[in-house]
Parts: sequence; structure tokens; C-alpha cells
Amino acid sequence: MGKKRKVILPPDLPPEVADNDIEVSDEDLEFIGQNREYAGFLTKLDTKSIDRHVKRVAGHESDDLEALYEQRKRKASLLKRNDDDDKLQVDPVDALPVKTLDGKLEYRTVDRTKSEAITNEKDNTEENEKDMSVVKLTKKEKRLKIKKSRKEAKKEAKVEEKGNVGVEKLHTEVLAKVEEDLSAEELFRKKKIKLAEIGLQLLENPEENIKSLKELLKNCDDGNQNIVKLGLMSLLAVFKDIIPGYRIRLPTEKEMEMTVSKAVLKQRFYESTLLNSYKAYLAKLIAMEKKPSLRQVAVRCLASLLDAVPHFNYRENILAIVIKNISSPDDTIRKLCCNATKSIFLNEGKHGGEATFEAVRLIAQQVKIYECQLHPDSIEVLSSLTFDEDIGKPDTQAEAVKIKKKGKWKTPDGSNKLQGSEKKKTRQESLAKTREEVTADFKSVSFAPDSRERKRMQSETLSAVFEIYFRILKHSTDSHASRSTTDAASFSHGSSSLPLLAPCLKGLGKFSHLIDLDFMGDLMRCLKQLAGYSDHGTIQNPLSVSERLQCCIVAFRVMRNNLEALNIDLQDFFVQLYNLLLEYRPDRDQGEVLAEALKIMLCEGKQHDMQRAAAFIKRLATFSLSYGSAEAMAALVTLKHLLQKNSKCRNLLENDAGGGSLSGLVSKYQPDATDPNLSGALGSVLWELSLLTKHYNSSISSMAASIMSMGSVNPAQSQVFLSTASPLQAFRDSSILCELSKPTSKSATSRQKQRELQKDYVLMDPEVMQNGNLVDEDEVRRKLEDRFAVHKVITENERLRKELNHTLSSISLYEEYNRQKKQKRRRTTKRVLGD
Amino acid sequence: MAKKMGRRARKFAKKNLQSVMKRKRKLNALFQKKFAPRQEKSDSPEESKNLKNDMQTPVDPEQEILDGIVSTNPFGDLFIKEDDDSGADVSDSDGYLSEDPECPYISEDEEESCPEEMCKDVVLLEQNTEINQRLKNQKRKLSKLCKKDPQFSKFLESRRSEFLKSKSEEIYSDDEGDTSSMDDEYIVGNEISQVSKVITSSTVDVWCWLVMEQPNWPGLANLLNAFRAACHYGLDTGEVSPVKIANREVFCKILTFVLSEAKGIFCGLLRISGFSNKETILKMKNKPEWKTTRSLIKSFLRSSLFLLNQETDNQILVFVLSQIRLSILLFSAFPSLTKKLIKISIHLWVTGDKDLSASSFLILRDIASEFSLDNIDTCLTKGFGAFIANSKFMKPQNIEHIEFLENSVVELYSLDIQKSYQKVLMSVQQLASILRLALKTKEKDELKKIHSWQYINCISLWVKFVSCNYKNHDLQQLLFLIIGVIKGIAHLFPGPRYLPLRFKCVKMLNQLSFSSGVFIPVESLLFDCLEIRGTNNAEGTKLKHLDLALLLKVPNQLLKSQDFQQASVLSAIKLLAEHLSQWCYHVSFPDLATIPLILLKRFHENTSIESVRRPVKRFIDQVQQNSDFIQRKRDQVSFSPKDKESVDSFLQLEKCDRSAAFTKFYDNMLQNALA
Repeated sequence: MGKKRKVILPPDLPPEVADNDIEVSDEDLEFIGQNREYAGFLTKLDTKSIDRHVKRVAGHESDDLEALYEQRKRKASLLKRNDDDDKLQVDPVDALPVKTLDGKLEYRTVDRTKSEAITNEKDNTEENEKDMSVVKLTKKEKRLKIKKSRKEAKKEAKVEEKGNVGVEKLHTEVLAKVEEDLSAEELFRKKKIKLAEIGLQLLENPEENIKSLKELLKNCDDGNQNIVKLGLMSLLAVFKDIIPGYRIRLPTEKEMEMTVSKAVLKQRFYESTLLNSYKAYLAKLIAMEKKPSLRQVAVRCLASLLDAVPHFNYRENILAIVIKNISSPDDTIRKLCCNATKSIFLNEGKHGGEATFEAVRLIAQQVKIYECQLHPDSIEVLSSLTFDEDIGKPDTQAEAVKIKKKGKWKTPDGSNKLQGSEKKKTRQESLAKTREEVTADFKSVSFAPDSRERKRMQSETLSAVFEIYFRILKHSTDSHASRSTTDAASFSHGSSSLPLLAPCLKGLGKFSHLIDLDFMGDLMRCLKQLAGYSDHGTIQNPLSVSERLQCCIVAFRVMRNNLEALNIDLQDFFVQLYNLLLEYRPDRDQGEVLAEALKIMLCEGKQHDMQRAAAFIKRLATFSLSYGSAEAMAALVTLKHLLQKNSKCRNLLENDAGGGSLSGLVSKYQPDATDPNLSGALGSVLWELSLLTKHYNSSISSMAASIMSMGSVNPAQSQVFLSTASPLQAFRDSSILCELSKPTSKSATSRQKQRELQKDYVLMDPEVMQNGNLVDEDEVRRKLEDRFAVHKVITENERLRKELNHTLSSISLYEEYNRQKKQKRRRTTKRVLGD
Repeated sequence: MAKKMGRRARKFAKKNLQSVMKRKRKLNALFQKKFAPRQEKSDSPEESKNLKNDMQTPVDPEQEILDGIVSTNPFGDLFIKEDDDSGADVSDSDGYLSEDPECPYISEDEEESCPEEMCKDVVLLEQNTEINQRLKNQKRKLSKLCKKDPQFSKFLESRRSEFLKSKSEEIYSDDEGDTSSMDDEYIVGNEISQVSKVITSSTVDVWCWLVMEQPNWPGLANLLNAFRAACHYGLDTGEVSPVKIANREVFCKILTFVLSEAKGIFCGLLRISGFSNKETILKMKNKPEWKTTRSLIKSFLRSSLFLLNQETDNQILVFVLSQIRLSILLFSAFPSLTKKLIKISIHLWVTGDKDLSASSFLILRDIASEFSLDNIDTCLTKGFGAFIANSKFMKPQNIEHIEFLENSVVELYSLDIQKSYQKVLMSVQQLASILRLALKTKEKDELKKIHSWQYINCISLWVKFVSCNYKNHDLQQLLFLIIGVIKGIAHLFPGPRYLPLRFKCVKMLNQLSFSSGVFIPVESLLFDCLEIRGTNNAEGTKLKHLDLALLLKVPNQLLKSQDFQQASVLSAIKLLAEHLSQWCYHVSFPDLATIPLILLKRFHENTSIESVRRPVKRFIDQVQQNSDFIQRKRDQVSFSPKDKESVDSFLQLEKCDRSAAFTKFYDNMLQNALA
């Protein structure tokens, strides 16, 4: 009977208790002596609850055993685990099915897997318990135990068949049987479940189950790729969860020798196991990254590890792999890597900036190795970098101290900024003050290393970034020179041969305020060359119009930030812009770039030379006559700005004979001049505006009208007209999508008062229409006759066919008739006979 | 269903309830004299509907009497023809008219002895003789059997009647065929004394003469019945017509006479001079004559529609349509028939050849302009739908046809702007929303929707509509919306592959700009094709003629070919000339031409295609010349750009004269293109 009950209640009676019994008993005997008083204390416990528990589990056992069993259970829940555990395991109660401390957990796992094969479950729990028991033992005994337990586990099936518990036998038999029958599919499912279980246990109690990591790692060597992937992913989840928020430092030899408390020992063990497994895991990932089939999974794991735990050990290795894949031709891999890198850049708090520097350095290496032939994304990521200018500024130190102390981190002595002129510093001083408050808040919550260290790192990062940028620029100018002879195919722009230039220019624009003045001259020379306009048209320049405009923009950005320090003539760039306006093609080039260039070069900044301003005004007006509304709008906004700033140019609005007197060198307007200063635009009249007032787009026509009226207003009042809209804004507002979304009124108001039908033809020639109707009647007659004849023959045909069919069927009926007749005759004869 | 039941029941009655039928006939004869004035009622739709229902229960004695009253056909048979296209009118029965018994029939043996001579279909004829031969053999066999065993013939009879109970139609006609003699002229021998009157050519002549002479001649019904029979000739399914057309001449004569004289006859009957407008018809409805003529008119119209539906020859159709059109207003009294007519006309308009299409369009236009609002709506919606459905493909063969369809839709929509504006606006808004979606998502499916002939043809249709009607109506909103859509299309498909599409967009923009007088810049859309660089060696597949009008997208293999480059440059110049010619008298012409001139000059210097050099050079010279001309002129004036009136009046004289060299150049260019 007892047996039966056990079988019925498998969850309560895991037979492996026997293992523990055997494993532990010898060593732990002494504990009983030491801890006897515990047992005594526990005997006084509430019997009701004891009964409740016991009845369910082992009704057949003797009272003594029951009592003891219960005691142990209570104790487990009440006392600290380790000590009591050992002691209790020696008890004969161990024969009982319920394992000591983790009753709760065990039920849960059991519940979860109830539906699974019994054998399966048994297999798992066996392993788990083994591990658990090992952990419980002192470190000293650990290794021995493992070996022992493994051996014994193998033996068990044979040796212990006739042991104390009979159920064991049953289970092992079943196990053996079922294992034979396991198909590959089931195996896969089993493994999956096992992975899930181990993972869950690890997440529930990492300290106890840390050894399971090895188990999981083993799974990753499976022949089945799916299992490997699952294993990798579950390990990833586990590591992401259990990796501590600090870097693990393994104890030195010396430290190992020192005697330490148990807790410390345990912690050490935990950490070393974690670290070792992590290392093994990474090694595995790195190895798999080379296999094409597993690359994606491996990179995904690495990227998310980098994202989640950038502070932890072995980051360098991960980073190296991730950066290596940053310009992978595979879109998903590249995206993963880029995002991971971006998160490194954005969350510097997580790793204190070290990783940023490493990543940038690695990217720089990549750029160098591949000679700038990388995917644009790999440079694009750099634009997510943030540079904090305030770290360790001697001037701002005092204030920084206060805030930083609040934030519980040490004040730096940041005087060792690598470079930086006094001028720059003083300029940025004021800026710094305002920024500080914002950044301080951020810093206080993110943990950061020594700010001096940070400062150093940041400047190194910065120089690495600019190294990348300059390398790309250099490369571009070189290839520009070499390529200019080869004829680039019609519509392909430079971007194919210079993939990195566009993001590079974007980045330069973004970090232009950080560029060291020493580089400035070279940089400008480079940009000038790249933007270079040649009289022979676009073909000679491999760069696209957008890229060239971008060059101009960057140059202006850089200059604007350092204008006081440098006195570089920007005239060349104006010439570029003047000519690039003609090269611009609406759907090929980016209109926003053009609008931005107009804004930066013409709307902002100091006053322009009158000749130049007039030339631009004229060209912009002409430009808006030929191009779409978005571009035209941007141009008109700029034009308006220019007119507002250069009041003398308003003469262009008037057609007066004296206009020529202002025109200086060139008295007559030369539309095809390439130099704005030589165009003689001052002598021209803005006739374009009169045509623009007829523009279909109402905002453009009204804009043109408002510009035309500027001439009559005296300069003092003109300030009223200062519109705040930038060319960029204007461009966006009148893009095609916006134009399409405009509401339309529902009714048409006819110019004719009454609803009246229009009887006249609007398109067609009525004469022709009428003539088309004339038909040759004889022809029609002939055709009608033909039709009649044809139909007649057809009807005849149909009729004949029907008739024929009918006759045939009648004849065939004859046979039936004969048959029936015979039957009738037979019947009658029968009847006759019967009578 | 009811109809079907009715017919079946009728046949059943004919076959199996002989006595009832006989009685009915007697009653008929009786009633005919007594209730002569009530005859007219029989053809109103309600009555005939009643009739149909009645037919289902022919055994009911009361119904029989009613039948007797209403069915005044001297031949005791009333046919309800089920039309092939019965969906539209359930209430409209299509049957023969009650005839005038006194109508003269001139018997004359002029039946064609050998139709073989007439018919060109030799195969069918041969088949017929063959079958005939076989039939004779089999019949002989059968009669032998019958003689041998008289019991068998009885057996056959019983079998047949069993069969008839379950199945009716086919067997019935079989039966008829069986029992009728070999002579295919008369149907005799059947229990029903069903005699079709043969109409000979002299009969027709007499009828025609009589009809023309005396407008109220009652035999008109007979003539119209004959017309109906002619229209249905060869297509009757199992029904016996009361008239039999003797030969082809009769057939032809009846059709042409009735069709061409219908208008005059009915005018005479209704005592009106003609159908000039809707009011006449309304007035006419109140006239006492209307009651008598209504059924006649209806029969005529229905038969004509049937003919239109059945006929396949284009010329006959054109003839029929043009004759119907003369009396089209008659249709306005019969809404369901009008619907049918619209349906048929649209079908013919879309599928027919040039003449047929034109005449069906005229019918549609008449309906749309003369008839009630309902019909205009149907015409517009269906016409547009048919156009869209038929504009999926552009081929050299159908390009003219599609253009005609487009023009006709514009004509239809221009009839009543007030009404059509909503429709057009809705359609354009729909196009715009498709485009908006495509601009946002850039998905392939969405792009495909736009990059289709259907979409482009639809846009071009509305462009035409707007440019035709802009002057007289306030279509500004619509204009702006359409411009936005076209610009969006051009923006959505950049690159040289889509140049043909872009040219179409520019053409439409020019058209709109020209008709509305607003300024629409298109130059930037054309500059792209000046920068195409292809392979310089002309080894690729040389096409005889590359027609960009038939393409939306250039096939890849042509992209680099010189032909394509040449064609695109030339089209670009043409469009540019079109654009510039519109503003060639405007004061800002020199500025407008500045950028194109600079780019064209550069192109002229760099191009490797010799064949385009000359036209480009010529174009540059012309533009330059005009530019200089305007420059000179405006240097002489003293007004400023903001002086609107002066700007508008600048060179107006020259504009009216079209005296500038550039205008001449452009006109010349157009003429060359046409030639």
C-alpha cells in the first residue's frame, strides 16, 4: 500500500533523498552533537501544523520518524539554513521524500513540470539537489563531494536497487526504459525545459545555484544549433540579471592565504564561479561569432551584454568584437552593434567613460585599416557622443566642488586638460555656468570615476574622434584629386566612393566648437578643396551637391565658433554657394541641407558686402522662378533677410535709371558670372517678383508681394517685417506633403449665376462628331441581310440536331421496350403457370 | 423566378390542358368583341404582371376569364419574352403587341428556295445537309419499327409524356420539332393551332405604305411585332413568334424602315412636331394619345435595345444608335429602359471602334444633357468608371481611343459643372490621399498604385477637365490640389528611369498653367535629363522608334541607350519651350530663362550625342533672342516690378499679335511635332 501511495504522490517523494543521505552523513555526524539543542528546541513546536504536513506526505511512516521529519522542516523555515541543514541531513528522516529547506521551491518546480514525464522531472531535480547540497557544504569539502556524488549517482541505479527505498528502483527502471524511446524531438523539448528550469533557479537564487552556470554552459556545446542558441540566450538573460554592479576582482594569492569568515569565503566562491563562467561564456560567443550560422546570435548576445553590463570584466573583449562588426554587411548585425555602441556613448554613467574611449579608439583603428571604406553607420554612431566641457575646468572648480560633493564624488583637480587656449576657456566660461546645473544633476545620479581621469579620457576620446574625421577628410581630398580625371557615371554621386564623408561632415558640424585651433587651418583648406567648384560642371567633382553644401555649412559652423580667433576669408565658400544653387536638383539633393546652408551662410552672421548681397538676392530670385515651392520659399525667406539687412539693396526693387550708379565694377548684370562680386547684380531689377506673384502657391505669391512692398517702406519701419521664420522652417512648411494636406473647400462657385447646362462642346469638334455618324445605308442593308442568312442557317442547324437526337433516342428506346415486353410476357406466363 | 414559373406553367398548360386552352380561345373570341375598348390596358406593366401571375394557375376558371379579357391576341397566345438582361426591369414585360387582325397579309411564295446561295458559311451548310441525311435514315428506321410493332408507338408516347412531366422545355421543343413536318417552313401538326404568319416582302411594302399614309393605322402593332421578331431573329429560345420573316429582304426592310421612320411615326401618332426638349415629352405624357401609343413606343424601344445588345457588327450598331438618337427623348418616359440604354451605350462607347464609340458617346451626352438628374449621375459615374477600367494599359493601338474616351468624359463632366464638381473633387482627393500615403510610407505597393496608367490617366483626365472649365468656373481649389498631386508624383519618382512619367507631369502642369494663367515652375523637373550620361558607344539595341508617351518607366536596357537620351532631351526641350512660350511676353522672361540657358549651354558644350546638338543650339538661340528682345523692351520702361498694372500691360500688343520670334519658333515646333 505504501508503495502505491508513493507512486501516486511523486512530488512529495523524490527518491534522491537517498543520495543526500549517503553523501552527507559521514561528514556531518559531528554536527548533531554540536547542534543538539536546536533539535530539542524544535520538539516543542506546534503539533497541529506538523500533523498537517505529515499526513499528506508519509502516512505510513512510524510516529517517531514523522515527528523528526516535521521538526526538521520547521527548523528549516525558521533558522538559518547552512548549519542546521547539515545536521538534519544526518537524521534518519532523510529517507523521507521532502528535501530540507527548499520545500517551497521544490513544489513550484514540481508543479510546473507535472505534465512532463516523471522520469524527466526526476532527472532534473536530482541534478539540482546535488548542486544545492554541494553549495551547502563547506568549501573545503566541495570538490570531493562533486566527484563523489557523480560517481554515486551513476552507481545508484545499480547498487541501490535493493536499498532502503523501494521506489528508487521503480523510477530508475522507468528512466532507463523511457530514455531508450526518446526521440530526437523529445530530447529537444526536454533540453529546452531543462534550460528553462535551470535558468529560473538561477534567477531565483543565484547564490545557491551559481554552479548551474556550468550546466548551462555545457548545453551550449550541443550538436543541435537551436539548443545552442537557446542556451546562449538563456545564459544572456541570467548574466544580465546576476552580474553585480561592480567589477569583480579575484583575490590575490596573499589574500587567499588569509583566513577569512565563511561569508567572505562563500562570496569569493560565488564571484569566482561567476567570473569563470562568464569568461567561458564569452569565449564561446567569440568563437561562435566566426561561424556564419551562429554569428547573429553571438553578436546579439555580445551587443546586449555590452549594453547591459559595460562596467563588468572582459568588456574590452566584447567591445572589440562589437566594433569589428559595426560595418558588417548584414543589416541586423550592424544595427545591433551600432545601437550597442551608441548606448555606450550615451550611458557613460554606466562605465565611467572608459568604454567610450575604447570604442572610439577601436573605430579609429577600423577606419584606418579599411581605408575609409566602411559603412556610413559606423561613423554615424560618433554623433551620439556627448562631450562635457566642464569637467575639471580650473575656473569652474569652486562651484563644481559644491555640487560634486553633494553628489558624493571627489573633486577633481582638472588642470591637465591637454590643450586649450586661454581665450577659448574664457569664452566657454559663461556657457559652462549654465550647463553646469544640468550636468551636475546627471552626474550626481550616475557614478563616475575621478573627474581628472574623466577629463583625460574625454580629451583622448575627442582627439580620437577628430583623428577619424580628419582621416576621412584627408582620404576624400586625396581620392578627389585622383578621381577627378575619371568620369563619374551620370547620376551616381560621390557617396558610393566616399561612404563616410557624409556622416563625417555631419559629425564635424556637430563638434565644430570642440575643434582645436591648431587644426583649423588644415580643416578649412580641406573643406575648401572638397567644396571646390570647377567651371566644367559637376562631373569633375565626385562629391554630390549635398555633400558640398555640407562642407560649406561645416566651414561656417567652425568659423562661427571661432571667428574671433581666426581671420580666414570665407569668400570662396560664398562663391561655392552661389554656383551650387544652379547645381541643385530638387529630388536628387537634400533640400534641407540647402535651406540650412542658406540660413547659416546668408541669414546669420555679420553683414555682407553689398555687391555680394545683391548678387545673392538676384540669384535667389532667379532660383525661385525655376524651382519647386519648398525651395523657392526657402530662397525667398533668405532673400527677405538679405534685403532687410542690406537696405541699399532695396534699390533692386525699383526700376530707376540711377541703379547703375551703384553697380561699381560691372555696370551690367551678368547672369552667368560665377563670382557673385563680379555679377554686377546691383544694376539689375528684381523683375522675377512680378512673375512670382502669379505663382500657384499662395504663400509664395504673397511672400513675393510682401517683398515687393519693402522698397517703399522707409528703413526705420522695416524692422516690423523681420520675420522669424528661417529658410529651413520655410522649406519644411511648404514641402509637398504639407501642400497636399491643405484642406479644400467643398463647393465650386460657378461664375455663371444659374445652373445652366453647357451645351457647347468644350473639347471636341462638333462637326467631326456629327460627321462620324453618317453610315452607308447600303452597307448596313447588306450586313443585315448577311446576318439574317447566318442566323437562319444556325437555327436550321440547331433544329436538325435536336430532331436527330430525338429520333436516335426513340430508337434506343425500342430496345428497352422489347425488354419490357419480354418481361411482361414472362410475368404473364409465370402467372399463367402459377395459376 | 415568377417569370420562369409562369412560362413553365404556360407550357404545361399548353401541353396538358388542351381543353382549358380551347375554352380560353373561345372566350377570347367572345370577349374580343364585347370588350374591345379594354384592349389597350393589356400592355401596361401592371396588367402584364398580373397576367404572369395568373398564368401560374391556369386551371382556375375565374382567372381564365380574366385571361380572356386581357389577352386579346387573336391567336390566343401571349408571349412574355424573358430578356437576357432582365436585371433592370422586373416590371417591364417584353412581349408582342396585340395585333390588328384585319391587317393585310399577302401570301406569296417567295421563300428562299436555297439559302445556301446566300450564306457564306459553307461549313455549317455542309453540316446541315449531313445531319439532314442522317436524320432521314433514322426516321425511316423509326417508322419501320413503329410499323412492325404498333405497340411501340404507344410506348413511346407514354414515355414522352412521363418525361415531360419532369422536364419541360427542351423536350417540348423536341416534341414540336418531331411532330412538325420535315418542311421547315410551317409548324403544323401540333395540337396547338399555332400558326405563324409569314411576312413576305410585299406585305411589308404594303404595311410601310399604310403606316406612312395614315398615322393611326392599327396595323402598326403588327409592324412593330414584326420588328420585334426581326430583332430577336435567330435568338428566340423555344418561343414561337406570331410572325415569321420570309426572307432576308423582308428582314432588312423591316429593320431599316422601322428604325429610320420611328421618329416620324410616333410624332405623327402623338400629334407633335418633334422631340425638341424635355418639356415636349412631359406635355406629351398628358395627352390622350399617349395612352394608346405608349405600348407601341415601348415595344419599339425595347426591341431596339435588344438589337443593340445582340448585334456585333459595328456598322449596324452605329446605324441603330444614330436612328435611336433621333428619338432619344422617348426614352425619358421609361426610366428602366433608359438605364439599360446607358448601360449598353457605355459598353459600346468603351469597347467599340472609332465610329461606334463616337455615336454611343453622342447618345450618352444626349442623355446626360436632356434627361433627369438621376440619369446624369449614372452617366457620369458609369462613364468615369468605364474609362478608369479601360485605361489600364497604353498601347500604340489604343492611345487614340483612350484619348477619345478621356475627351468624352471631360465633355460629359463639363455639361453640368455644379454637379460634377463634387465628383471630381472627391476623385482628386482620393488620388491625393493615395499619394500622401505613398509619400509617407514609401511602400512598394503604394508606389505601384501611383505608378500605373490608371492613376496617371485619371489625373490627366481631371487636368483636362480643369483646363477646359477654368475660365468659366471657380475651380481654384481643385486646381491647387491637382498641382499638388502632380508635383507629388514627380517628387515621388526621381531618377532617369521615371523620366517619361515626369514628362507627363510637366506636360500636365504646363496645360494647367496655360489654361489658368498661374505660374507653375517646371524647369527644375526637366534639368535632370540634361545630366544623363550614357554609354558613348551606340552599340546597344537600336530601336526604330522610342515613344516616351507610351512609357511610364524606362526599361533598364534602354536606360543607357542613346535613343533614350536623345528622346528625353528632345522632349525636355519641347516641354521647356512650351513653358517658356507661355511667358515669352512677360517682363521677367530673361530671368526665367537665365538658369535654363546656363544649363543648356553647358549641356551643349559637353554632350556627346551629336543628334541633339543642333536642336539644342537652335533652342538656345531662340530663347536668347527672345530674352534680349524683352531685355531691350524693359530697359525702355520706367515702371517697377510692383506696379502690377503696368507689368500686366507690358507687351500685350505683341502678345495679341503673336509677333515675337519665339512664338513663331514654338508654333513651328508644334507643327513639326504634328507632322
